[in-house]
Amino acid sequence: MTAIDESAAVVTRRRKFSKRRARAGRMFVAPNLSAVAVFMVFPLGFSLYMSFQNWDLFRPAKFVGLANYRSLFTGDPLFSIALRNSVVYTVGTVVPTVLISLAVAGVLNRNIRGINFFRTVVFLPLAVSSVVMAVVWQFVFNTNNGLLNIMLGWIGISPIPWLVDPKWAMASLCMVSIWRSVPFATVILLAAMQGVPDTLYEAARLDGAGELRQFVSITVPLIRAAVSFVVVISIIHAFQAFDLVYVLTGRNGGPETATYVLGIMLFQHAFAFLEFGYASALAWVMFAILLVLTVVQLRLARRRTAQEERSWA
Amino acid sequence: MGLADRVIKPSILRGFALYTALAGIAWCALFPILWAVSGSLKNEGEVTMPTLFPSHPQWSNYREVFALMPFWRMFFNSVFYAGCVSVGQVFFCSLAGYAFARLRFRGRDTLFVLYLGTLMVPLTVTVIPQFMLMRVAGLTDTPWAMIVPGLFGSAFGTYLMRQFFQTIPAELEEAAILDGCSPWQIYWRILLPHAKPAVMVLAVLTWFNVWNDFLWPLLMIQRGSIATLTLGLVRMQGEYVARWPVLMAASILILLPLLLVYAVAQRAFIRGIAVTGLGG
Amino acid sequence: MASVTFEQATRRYPGADRPAVDCLDLAVGDGEFVVLVGPSGCGKTTSLRMVAGLETVDAGCIRIGARDVTDVEPKDRDVAMVFQNYALYPHMTVAQNMGFALKIAGLPKAEIRDRTLDAARLLDLEPYLARKPKDLSGGQRQRVAMGRAIVRRPQVFLMDEPLSNLDAKLRVQTRNQIAQLQRRLGTTTVYVTHDQVEAMTMGDRVAVLRNGVLQQCGAPRDLYRNPANMFVAEFIGSPAMNLFTLPVVNHSVSLGDWRIRLSREITDAAGEIVVGIRPEHFEIGGRGIEMQIDVVEELGADAYLYGRVTGPDNTFGQPIVARADGHDPPLHGSRVRLHPQRGHLHFFGVDGHRLP
Repeated sequence: MTAIDESAAVVTRRRKFSKRRARAGRMFVAPNLSAVAVFMVFPLGFSLYMSFQNWDLFRPAKFVGLANYRSLFTGDPLFSIALRNSVVYTVGTVVPTVLISLAVAGVLNRNIRGINFFRTVVFLPLAVSSVVMAVVWQFVFNTNNGLLNIMLGWIGISPIPWLVDPKWAMASLCMVSIWRSVPFATVILLAAMQGVPDTLYEAARLDGAGELRQFVSITVPLIRAAVSFVVVISIIHAFQAFDLVYVLTGRNGGPETATYVLGIMLFQHAFAFLEFGYASALAWVMFAILLVLTVVQLRLARRRTAQEERSWA
Repeated sequence: MGLADRVIKPSILRGFALYTALAGIAWCALFPILWAVSGSLKNEGEVTMPTLFPSHPQWSNYREVFALMPFWRMFFNSVFYAGCVSVGQVFFCSLAGYAFARLRFRGRDTLFVLYLGTLMVPLTVTVIPQFMLMRVAGLTDTPWAMIVPGLFGSAFGTYLMRQFFQTIPAELEEAAILDGCSPWQIYWRILLPHAKPAVMVLAVLTWFNVWNDFLWPLLMIQRGSIATLTLGLVRMQGEYVARWPVLMAASILILLPLLLVYAVAQRAFIRGIAVTGLGG
Repeated sequence: MASVTFEQATRRYPGADRPAVDCLDLAVGDGEFVVLVGPSGCGKTTSLRMVAGLETVDAGCIRIGARDVTDVEPKDRDVAMVFQNYALYPHMTVAQNMGFALKIAGLPKAEIRDRTLDAARLLDLEPYLARKPKDLSGGQRQRVAMGRAIVRRPQVFLMDEPLSNLDAKLRVQTRNQIAQLQRRLGTTTVYVTHDQVEAMTMGDRVAVLRNGVLQQCGAPRDLYRNPANMFVAEFIGSPAMNLFTLPVVNHSVSLGDWRIRLSREITDAAGEIVVGIRPEHFEIGGRGIEMQIDVVEELGADAYLYGRVTGPDNTFGQPIVARADGHDPPLHGSRVRLHPQRGHLHFFGVDGHRLP
C-alpha cells in the first residue's frame, strides 16, 4: 500500500472505531433514556397539559384555560391554609435540622474509641421508613401513656395533647420530621467534615484557636457546599411532605386542618375528589415555588462567596 | 496512624463531657424505637400505664401480628419489589452512566443536561400522570406497577454512576481497548467490578426507597396479596386503632430486616457517599 | 527569642516496637538555626511536632527558654509552624490567613493590618493579599505559610520540610531566602528536612536522626569531616562516601592490591574494620587503588566514575565511586589508579562507630 492508502486506512479504522463506540453509547443509554422519558419527561409535560383541563377520569376532559389556577389563588381558602402550613412545616423542619445536624456531625467528627458505634446509632433512623416511624411516634405522642408525656411527668409537667390539640399538632409533626431528617443531614455533613485536612486544625491550634473557634472558623465555612446541598434537599423534601403527615395525623390534615399541608391537599384533590386538573395545577404551583426558592438560594450562595473575596482581615 | 494517635489525649473532663453528649444524642436517636419495643411487649392493660419496662414480656403480641396480617406474604412482596428494582437500577444506570461518562455520541451532553433538569422536578408533579400511565396500561393492582417504573433506572441513579465513572482513570479503559475489548466488555468486565462503592450507594438507596415507599403502593395496590409491608402496617393501623402492643410489634418486625441490611451496608455506604461526591 | 531544649524526650506510638523519638537530648541556642535531618521514619517530624505541642511527650521534657512546656497547650507556647503542605485556610484570603492568629489573640485591627503588611512586604506578597490560596502558585503559597508564621513574632519558628513541594530550581532559590530571612529576624528556628543538601547549606548546626535516635549534632563542616558513625558518614555528602568492610591482616587492610597501614590502636580493636573515603578525596593516577570503570557520569564541571575495585589476579571486588575533573574524564571500560588524599580516610568499627 502507498503511504496515502495507509493513512486513509488508518482514518477509516479510526472512524469505524469511534462509530462503534458511539453506537454502543446510544444503545447503552437507550433503556435508561426511555424510562426517564416515559416516567419523567412525559409526566412533566402531561401534568402541565392537565392543569389546563378539568378531568375526573371517567368523563372526557374539558379545556378550562387558567381557571384552575385562578380558583387556587382566589377561590380556595384551603390553599392559603395549606400554603401557610407547608411554609411553617418547612421552616420548622429545615432550620432545626441544619443546626442540630451541624452540632451532631461536629461531635461525631472525631476518632475516639467507640465512635463507630455512635455513628451507626445516629444514622439508624435513616433506615426506617416514614410510615413505620409515624406509627411508632403516634405511640410516643399518645396523650395518656406516651413516652413523651411520661418523661414530662418526671419533671412535673402535665401531659400535653400532642396530636389532638391543633396548637400542638404541627409542633409534633415537626419534631418527627426533624428526628427523621437529622440523620440524613448528619451523614452528608459528616462526610464533608471528614474532607477537611487535619493539618488545618493543627495550624489553627497553633494560631491559638480553641475547639469551638476551630469549629466555627474552619469546619463550618469549609463545608458550606454540603450545608447548601442539605438545605436545598431538605426544603424540597419538606415542602412536598406526604407520607409522614398522612400516617401521623391522618388523611384530612390533622385536628382542624392544623397539619393540612400542600402534599395532603394534592392527594385529596387528585385521588379523593378525582379532580386531576385542579390537582395538577396545584402541583405546578408547588413546583414553581420550589424552583424560585432554589434559584434564590443559589444566587445568595454565589453572592456570599463574592462578598468574602472582596473583604480583608 | 490515625488522628487519635497524633492528638494529645483529651483531659478526663473533656472525655466525660464528650461521651455524655454522645450518649444523649444516641438516646435521642434510639428512644422511639426502644419505646416501641417496650410497648410491643406489654399487654393491652399495661400499655395504658406510664411505665417504661413491661412487667411480663408478652411475646404473644408478635405472634398475633402474623395472625392479623399476611406478614410473610407482604415481606416477600417487599423484598421482591425492592430487589428487582435495585438490580434493574444498578444495571441500567451504570450502563448509561458509563455511556455518558466515556462514550462519545452526538447529543450526549445536551441529553445529560436534560437528565439533570429532571432531577429538579418534585414528586408531586409526576405522580398523577404516572398514575394515569399505569391505569391506561392496565397495570394497576399488579406487581408490574411496583417494578416497571423504576426497573430501567432513573435520572438520579445515572447521574450518580456517571459522576463516579468520571473519577476512574481513563488509562484503565485505554488498556482494555488495546487488549481488544468492545465497549460492552469494558463495561462488564472492567468498569462495573471497579464500581463497587457507587453501586453500593445506589443499591442501598434504591432498596430503602422501594421498601419504604408509601404513596405509590397506596395508589396502585388494592389486593392484599401483592401489598408491601409498609402498606400493610398502615392498613393495620386503620383497622386496629389503638391496639398499641400489636401495632408496635408489627412496626418492630418491619424494622428488623432493614436494620440488618443497614448494619451490613453502613460502612460501604458511607464510604460510597464520599467517593461519589454526593455531599455537594 | 528563646532557646529550645529537648531533655530525654521520648515518643512511642501505641503498638510500635520502637519509639519514634528515643531519649532525644538536643539544645538549640537562642537565635540559632538547627536542622533535623534523616531518612523517612527517623523521628525528625515527630520531634518538631513535640516542640509545637501537636505530639504527646511520653517521657522527658521540652523546654522553651527556661520554661518547661511539655504539658502546655500549643497556643500558649508562642511557637509558629510552617507545615509541609502549608495548611493555608482555603476559604480565607492571604491577608486573612496571615491575620488569623492575631485576630484570635485580640490584637487591634490597625496593628493586625500593619503587621500583615510588613510581613507581606518582606516576602513580596503585597500584590496577592486579597487572593485566595487556590489562586496562588506553589511558591507563593509557601511564602504565605511563612508570612503566617512571621506576623506572630513568635519565640520559635518550626518548619516541617517547607521546600519539599517546590520544584528543584525554586527550592534552591527559596532555600537562600529562608536562610537570609532567619538571619535578619534572628528568631530561633528548628527546621526539618530529608534533604542533606538543604541541611548542610542552611543550618548553623545539623542534627542527624535515625530510627528515633540522635546520631550526631554539629556544624555542617564537622559532620562532613568527622562523622561520628557510618550512618552519618554515608548520609552526608553526595555521592555517598565509599565504605569498605575489610579484614585486618598484619596491621593493615587491602583494597584491591593497595595496602593501607593502620595504627596499632585500630588494629588491636578488631579483626575487621570499615574504611571510608569520599569520592571527592581521590586523585586520579599515581599509586593507589585500581578501579575498573563501568559508568562515567558527566555533570559538566565534575565527572563521577562508578566501577569496581580490581584485585590481584584480576579479580573484581567492591563497588567504588570517584570524582574526576569534568574536562577530560577517563573513559568507561578503562582502568585507573585512585590515590586517596592524605588525612581523608575514615575508619569505623564493624558496629558503625568511628575509630579514633
